[in-house]
Amino acid sequence: MKTTLKLFSLFFMLTAFVACSDDDNDEPQFIAVQSSTASNIPAPQVGGFGQGEISGPFTKFSFATGAVTESDTEWDIAFRGLRIIVNGGTETGTNDEPIRNGNAGAAIVDGTFASVTSADGLTFAQDETGAFAIPAGSDNGWYNYNQPLNIVSPLPGKILVFRTHDGKFAKVEILSYYRDAPTEITEEIANNDFRFYTFNYVYNPNEGETDLTAQ
Amino acid sequence: MSLNKNNYLIIFLLLTCSSLLSQEELKKDSILTENLDEVVVTATRTIRQLSSLPLPVTLIPKKQIERSGVTRLDEILEEQTGIVLTPDATIGGGEGVQIQGIASDYILVLIDGVPVVGRSSGNLDLSRFAIGNIKQIEVVKGPSSALFGSEALGGVINIITEKPNTSKISGQVTHRAATFNNQNTTISINQRNKELGYSIFVDRLSTNGFDLANGDEGQTINPFFNYTFNGRVFYDFSDKLRAFASGRYFLQDFEVPSGTSEERDGNVQLRLDHKLSEKSQFEYEFYYTNYATNEQSVDPINNEVLLDNDFNQKLFRPEIRFNHSFGTGNTLTLGGGYNFETLDRSLFAEQVSFDSQYVFSQYDFKPFEKLNVIIGARFDNHSVYNSQLSPKISARYAITPNFSIKGSLGSGFKAPDFRQLYLDFTNAQGGNYSVFGKEVELQGLERLIANDEIITDANGNPILPVPLEALGDPLNAESSIGYNLGFAYNKGKFRGDVNFYRNDFTDLIDTRILATKRNGANVFGYINRESVYTQGLEVDLKYEALENLSFSAGYQLLYAFDKNVEDELEENGGFVRDPETLQTVEISRDDYFGLENRSRHTLNFKTFLEIPQWDANANLRVVYRSRFGLADRNGNGYLDDFDDSFVDGFALVNLSFGKTFFKYYQVQLGANNLLDFKGENPFSTALNQIQVNPGIQFFGRLNIQF
Repeated sequence: MKTTLKLFSLFFMLTAFVACSDDDNDEPQFIAVQSSTASNIPAPQVGGFGQGEISGPFTKFSFATGAVTESDTEWDIAFRGLRIIVNGGTETGTNDEPIRNGNAGAAIVDGTFASVTSADGLTFAQDETGAFAIPAGSDNGWYNYNQPLNIVSPLPGKILVFRTHDGKFAKVEILSYYRDAPTEITEEIANNDFRFYTFNYVYNPNEGETDLTAQ
Repeated sequence: MSLNKNNYLIIFLLLTCSSLLSQEELKKDSILTENLDEVVVTATRTIRQLSSLPLPVTLIPKKQIERSGVTRLDEILEEQTGIVLTPDATIGGGEGVQIQGIASDYILVLIDGVPVVGRSSGNLDLSRFAIGNIKQIEVVKGPSSALFGSEALGGVINIITEKPNTSKISGQVTHRAATFNNQNTTISINQRNKELGYSIFVDRLSTNGFDLANGDEGQTINPFFNYTFNGRVFYDFSDKLRAFASGRYFLQDFEVPSGTSEERDGNVQLRLDHKLSEKSQFEYEFYYTNYATNEQSVDPINNEVLLDNDFNQKLFRPEIRFNHSFGTGNTLTLGGGYNFETLDRSLFAEQVSFDSQYVFSQYDFKPFEKLNVIIGARFDNHSVYNSQLSPKISARYAITPNFSIKGSLGSGFKAPDFRQLYLDFTNAQGGNYSVFGKEVELQGLERLIANDEIITDANGNPILPVPLEALGDPLNAESSIGYNLGFAYNKGKFRGDVNFYRNDFTDLIDTRILATKRNGANVFGYINRESVYTQGLEVDLKYEALENLSFSAGYQLLYAFDKNVEDELEENGGFVRDPETLQTVEISRDDYFGLENRSRHTLNFKTFLEIPQWDANANLRVVYRSRFGLADRNGNGYLDDFDDSFVDGFALVNLSFGKTFFKYYQVQLGANNLLDFKGENPFSTALNQIQVNPGIQFFGRLNIQF
């Protein structure tokens, strides 16, 4: 019994030593996968709702920085009104869209935010002529539009999983389309404070890693 | 709200006590008060005594309507067991009558046995029907398509007008004034002189309307006035040949801030009853009805027409019925008819028409003394949708003279309506979505594709969730099977009825997305998809405590669910967004609340008192309905516990007193919604509180008979 214990401690010390020496080498380090919230990402648009063709620049977002970006290349997804585009695929034909120069894509997965744990095995759609990786229209993609109440609500149980422009993965749950993500959307808010995205996301910054659970 | 509940409880307790007290007194009193006048015609299309029927039927006699002091069909129906009047469309969910949890779309409304038309999105506005000249209202619960064809899935409401019966000219003038400047004048004149009888009825109602949302522009109910004219002539050529003719015209104008809103409803009915012998009779009936609305809204500044919405529906229907009795209590009924129906509507490409032919038969017999069986079936052939066969069987077995068991099994159907077949609508004002009826969906979608309005894939082909080849198949009729099993106990002054019901609906018509437009708006079409059920229990108790004092109480338990949602939730679970964190959470079958606008519990309590020595009467009526939800608000398409669209349970207490002076003058005073329940609409916002009910309404009524 005693000998086994001794042997074990020896083995343990040995592995610990080896592990330590590993750390000392300049091997790539794993960056912790974190859960974050992006609040009030503005998504203005010009036109629509009988006011002429929808146009205006998209608001570009980068998961790596967790912020809105002006960069023409380092963006992953972009917002304009109800429309979400990805930096991957071809031009859709909508007005004022940015040039896609990355390989981003999107998949919609049914589940809660926590239940989506990996991007493994998903098929990622990209934008293409006349079609979007996140399909347009009420109940087709990410939102439901309640006509009589004039309220846009994100569809429950639709988690958006993205491949970023540089091949990493992130999952997104959109929480609100209104400024400061109010729990009650009054008529006042519905008419004035729309086109502000708030969403939870988990981004895995590690190359080739599909794991999407936050540590 | 809590005050309301407390008051309700106190009143209820008081009345229960008084009912117990009077029960004590009763023992000395032993007059049998069985009402032999209670006969109905709607259940079998023959005259049948109410208590002997094997189906659940509610009878509302003239006296109850008069004593209650209400003037419109919806107001009196609301106080009956198992009948719920769902809130006005302004607070969502659609207005209309609900029987056994079945919505207004599936309930047929008749006047003297002929159907009224003119529904708006499936709902029939029952406040259109003045009830000042009626003998009784009969409500048959459960599918009755075996006799009445389309729309009779949930039940049939038949308004039976009164026949003149005095040789002297008689009549009455009534005026009723109520809160909101609600003014109702009624004049009726009747005479029956040997072979000729006639009856004239005029009703005028006007109101200033009311506002449920203070602070917004305009009113919830705009001021309106309406007239109802009804003339009827009865002529007996002989004992064997009797003729009946009736004409009814209703017109209503709403005073809208800019524009017009008019409603016209007319019908003509001719009937000839020909008695071949004591045992057989033919009835020939011609019926024509026309319902038209015109809505126009103009820009108040430049008078430009913003919206012009016309609706003009016509129905012509000849029908022949034949009854033959074999021995006592065995009756064979045969009938057939032809419906010609047209609709002209602004939102349709062109005028559309339906033709349908039908035959029905029914055999009502007593295989032995204690058992009554009714079997019947109807076949409807239609020009547009599949033909329908609707059978029904019901039976009543009298275990003892006082106790009987009754059951029925029947089917019902509702033809797809004109809208579901022919609508061609694009909402230019809001969202630009399009809706196509089944018969025009293929052409409609092809037109949009040709105009390059539909999103396309990389190769320029339109993206269609439903391939074009799958479009244009005919829509099936919505159908249901209803089961009722009940027990009736009837002894002396007490009557109790318990009825278990279940209604299974299949092929309900729903909308689906056919395509998405380039602007993101969807194109919708109709499809037979949904299956729902309603089930529960109805209890009706009536107690004639004294000759002049009666109590009645009713209760309905209701479970109403969409089967597809139930299955989906049981198999895969579902998702909602937590209203606080806004994050998705998983829910199970237990969190599914059921169909919109259904209350699990509804209760009513009524007591009527007559004081002959004072020529006076009084009554108190209480209606309660438990919590119900109006709409899905969290985007998963069904009502769940997380939806914040629930209206709390509430009670309406109605009271009225009447007294007759100098024999011919009757004065009535009363209050509806005595506890001034207003409620709060869940769709209200902090800025804009919207009520469920306008609150207490007082009324006074003067009736002069001559």
